[in-house]
Amino acid sequence: MSSLTLVRETVAAALRGTPETRPLRDDATAAGLRAELADVVFACGASTDHPLVLRSSALRIDRGVAGASSFALLRGLYVAAALRLLVNGHSMANPLDELSVAFDRLGSEGDVAAMLAQLSADDRARLEAELRSHVSVLSRELGTIPPNWRPRTMVRSAVVLAGGALELRDQVDLVVGTHLSPVASLALLDVTTSPLGPDAERVMRYHALVSTLRTGSLPLRTAMLSSATGERWTVDVTPELLHRAVADIASCSTMAVAA
Amino acid sequence: MSTLWQRRCTATDIADLVALAPAGDRLDATHRDAFGARLRSIPTMESRRLDAWMVEHGGHAGRGFVWSPTTARRIIGTLAYSRQHAAWSANAAVRDEIADQLASFARGYTRLGSLGHWLSGLDAVALSLVESEAVNWALQLLDVAELLGGSATLETTDGYYHVAGAQTTVRARRDFTINGPEGRVILRIRSGRPGKSAGPGLRADLVADALATPDGQAARRFIGLWPEAGLALAVDGTMDNLRSGARDLVRAAVVQRRERLTKAA
Repeated sequence: MSSLTLVRETVAAALRGTPETRPLRDDATAAGLRAELADVVFACGASTDHPLVLRSSALRIDRGVAGASSFALLRGLYVAAALRLLVNGHSMANPLDELSVAFDRLGSEGDVAAMLAQLSADDRARLEAELRSHVSVLSRELGTIPPNWRPRTMVRSAVVLAGGALELRDQVDLVVGTHLSPVASLALLDVTTSPLGPDAERVMRYHALVSTLRTGSLPLRTAMLSSATGERWTVDVTPELLHRAVADIASCSTMAVAA
Repeated sequence: MSTLWQRRCTATDIADLVALAPAGDRLDATHRDAFGARLRSIPTMESRRLDAWMVEHGGHAGRGFVWSPTTARRIIGTLAYSRQHAAWSANAAVRDEIADQLASFARGYTRLGSLGHWLSGLDAVALSLVESEAVNWALQLLDVAELLGGSATLETTDGYYHVAGAQTTVRARRDFTINGPEGRVILRIRSGRPGKSAGPGLRADLVADALATPDGQAARRFIGLWPEAGLALAVDGTMDNLRSGARDLVRAAVVQRRERLTKAA
């Protein structure tokens, strides 16, 4: 009698993929993307006097950050911090309490303390329970990331284009690999506390585009993990995917300038 | 004329900036005396530190320095990177560096307000968040070192020049030096994207570095890297740039003095 065991692939394994099949580093596509984005800026009417600043949140059409509650913002901040600890190999019994004490000691998250204090007892209990669940999903899905993969957390970017008329800002929760190796080996992971939807695809493309513009070479793949459901999407970065990202920015820029 | 070079933060562009750097000028005793005299003419009741950050912020002091994961990352990350060996990993090196800082505190070698003192007040979770930022910095240094192709030397300390009689110390921030027969090129890594005052900031670092060098020889080129923006800006070690940097440092001291007088009034 044979038994079938389904082994779920961890995020670490998905980001690594099969090293033998990785494409050579592509240093040629970035220049064309910059030119396309310069055309986008010209078409939408942004200028250096009125620069357009875009973040990945602008692409979340379904759930704009403006509409996000302080509860959701808090949850996002705590989950992002928990991810950093998990990547360092640090486990937590009670994420809310442990991270709150850490934020307090670091003295750098004054707004977090204020938002937390404004929560009712019920909301605080709900946040505590939700955080336990999100962190549990994260620790299960993440897997062990070896230090020689160069894992970096909360990697920020601020790419200026078209002489300063367009600025693309971004923050990727986890980046592994390097953009300097002869084969593409940079992988990007974004963690969201919401279920994955159409906007997640746009955000994944945006991360890949900003990384390409920043480093001058294409990353290997971009991924998104929902800490709410454990669902994960992973896409290999290709020039076509980046052209779609430029199209996303074009529609987003037109809407932003019109507003 | 002061030229500000702008290039992408790629290996080819940085190699060109290094290879095509002209010879740097030299500051002599007359220049040092003139700079010192200008600073001594701006009285201060307490010790004054001038650097590129102050120049970039128009001389305004800001909110004052406080330790945070962001302000601690450069020191810890740089020292962790300097521990390079065959089996080096950023995470382990940063942990070792934090452990050394804590050990120094436990032995009583650190003073109040120092990095070791601040770290000693943090719990394991907070230390892990500090570790994350420092790992990011150490790996960024590794990326830049690979970008430079192994020709660069890590600078574990900044350059300092004390102006006697003016209670003033000028600081030159630097992360890597590339030495060659025709002189040195210095690189500085910055966060975010370069602002409008990035050029004056680089010139301030250029002159501070030349002052901190015993023979006053300026670097052939001072390069600022903004990896988050994928940009590199550079200034040449010409007398024009040195003069411009010195003027901006003096201006920063004047603004600082005015602010302190206003505050006192």
